[in-house]
Amino acid sequence: MPLTGTRDLSTIADTAPLLTSLETEPWELKGAQHLQLHYELGGDRQALLPPALHPSIPPTLLVNVTRVPDSEVGAFTLATVRVGCRAGARPRGLLVRGYCDSAAAASVLRERWGFPVDLADVHLDPSYARATTSVTLDGATILAGELVDPQPITGADVQYMATLALARVARDGEETLLTQVDPDYTFDRAQRGVPRLTAFEAGAWNLPGASAAHPISASLTTVDMTLPRLRYLVHPDRDPLKAVERLPQPQPA
Amino acid sequence: MKFGVFFEISVPRPWGPETEYTVYQNCLEQARLADELGFDQAWAVEHHFLEEYSHCSAPEIFLTAIAMQTKQIRVGHGIVTCVPELNNPIRSAERAAVLDLVSGGRLEFGTGRSATWTELGGFGANPDETKKTWDEYVRVIPKMWTQERFSWQGRAFSMPERSILPKPYQKPHPPMWVAVTSVGTEIDAAQRGLGSLGLSFGGVGEQAQKIAGYRKRIQSCDPVGDFVNEQVNTVSFLYCHEDDEKGITTGQRMAGTFNYLSEQTLATRQAYPTPSYLSPGLLYQLRQESTSGPEGRVPEGLTIGDPHRVAQAVARWEEAGVDRINFLLNVHEMVPQEDVLASMRLFAKEVMPQFQQDEAPEPAGATAAGGA
Repeated sequence: MPLTGTRDLSTIADTAPLLTSLETEPWELKGAQHLQLHYELGGDRQALLPPALHPSIPPTLLVNVTRVPDSEVGAFTLATVRVGCRAGARPRGLLVRGYCDSAAAASVLRERWGFPVDLADVHLDPSYARATTSVTLDGATILAGELVDPQPITGADVQYMATLALARVARDGEETLLTQVDPDYTFDRAQRGVPRLTAFEAGAWNLPGASAAHPISASLTTVDMTLPRLRYLVHPDRDPLKAVERLPQPQPA
Repeated sequence: MKFGVFFEISVPRPWGPETEYTVYQNCLEQARLADELGFDQAWAVEHHFLEEYSHCSAPEIFLTAIAMQTKQIRVGHGIVTCVPELNNPIRSAERAAVLDLVSGGRLEFGTGRSATWTELGGFGANPDETKKTWDEYVRVIPKMWTQERFSWQGRAFSMPERSILPKPYQKPHPPMWVAVTSVGTEIDAAQRGLGSLGLSFGGVGEQAQKIAGYRKRIQSCDPVGDFVNEQVNTVSFLYCHEDDEKGITTGQRMAGTFNYLSEQTLATRQAYPTPSYLSPGLLYQLRQESTSGPEGRVPEGLTIGDPHRVAQAVARWEEAGVDRINFLLNVHEMVPQEDVLASMRLFAKEVMPQFQQDEAPEPAGATAAGGA
């Protein structure tokens, strides 16, 4: 059996949102700009993941910043830093804390998908030569980075990993669980470049000891994305082969 | 139809002082038995950094050990990674020639380009370039083997004129192959007159279509070597047992474990957006479908179960146009060594004779210098 994580996520569950319903309707977000900075992860690869997840070989750090120009709650920008891993054999990114610049959007993301996001100043500024991003919390820069030397590629070349978001779920009792959020993407434009991370405060992202050790790639896309209905939960403390719970889905009419 | 064995050399954790030694010794014992039983080829992968999944990073040394401990079985690089950061093409040609000499002309030379960021990133290789460097390698290596003096000005590498020594024992040179995993690579193989070394662990139906395309295209190929190597190999799991149920259960556990381990690595496409690599999800799905059938049924072509069932699977591959099946004999040491050896013996006794009269086409032109 490959290595598994050792982190007890219940110790940080108080920062996670409480999901009182798993009957989430999809949310379509049109014309979003999405930046991903992909690094190999430095630090203890098992210490950041719960026992239900395997570190990928090598483990990775995924910085994702999404700027949504309009939605039912207005424009917003969301930043997440995830740990690339495996749920069984499936590639996933573990999210234990993210930030959003809109209180209304943060509420939707917390209440409907269990995204553990808090308020911060989040910026994404694409230009022809680069795309820069920054996240500022209480006056301190907790993330700054950019994609440099963008080259056009096609959307078909890009693959995003689904997110496992740390949440508390109220069912018979309250459980610490991971919600699987695997958006659908329709690509309009895509560029690949080199990632450059100039600031990353691991503690602010609830990833103590994590670092961006080695650059892999950066991509910037313009996409229509749909956050789907929840279909799977992962029980973080279980054996990886017994951790995934499939949620009942409505029957097609 | 011919049969070979295929080594990934997967090493389960925990890694004690004897673990890798034991796995390597088990593999060598399997190769010796394969030689005695009439399997005609033993292939070994080249992989780097793939924890537990494959610890076979120096296949030229492992294959040399096999050659020194066997008499007849041919030894195959499955594959040499044709990427400059991993293997200098001159060194690849030299090492292969020495292995061919010391084995008495028993080398099969497989080529490929690696599929994981784990490996390419570890060596600092550019995934966008690997198709191009592979193409350059397969064109120059046969020239290095056959020309007394060689020079090259290319994209992947350049060199002034030198004699690349020694030359292989087989004349004009060993048969050349390409690993076929990505969609379309079988046509790349055919266009260049190379053997198709199927490594996707895909099902019969999926591969039959590829084989048909390969056979058609190779008729009008422009061979990169001195002869056309029109052969199609595939790879499958082998667990043959008198008790059909035990054979199936064990074989499916092997296949499932293999798929699980392979997915822990970071596929190039998952990390580095590029048109140079196909969707890793597609390969995973292919492997899943080919190893776990609906409602517990054994997918056609999966060589597990009792001898009757295994023979039926082999026959299905034969119908699809495969010349040789290379068998993965164990995964993660989950099957005790004595059971692996028993499975090989049972296969050789009950299944192999049923297919002995069907000879695969020999590679045109490759003969040992001291032989026929």
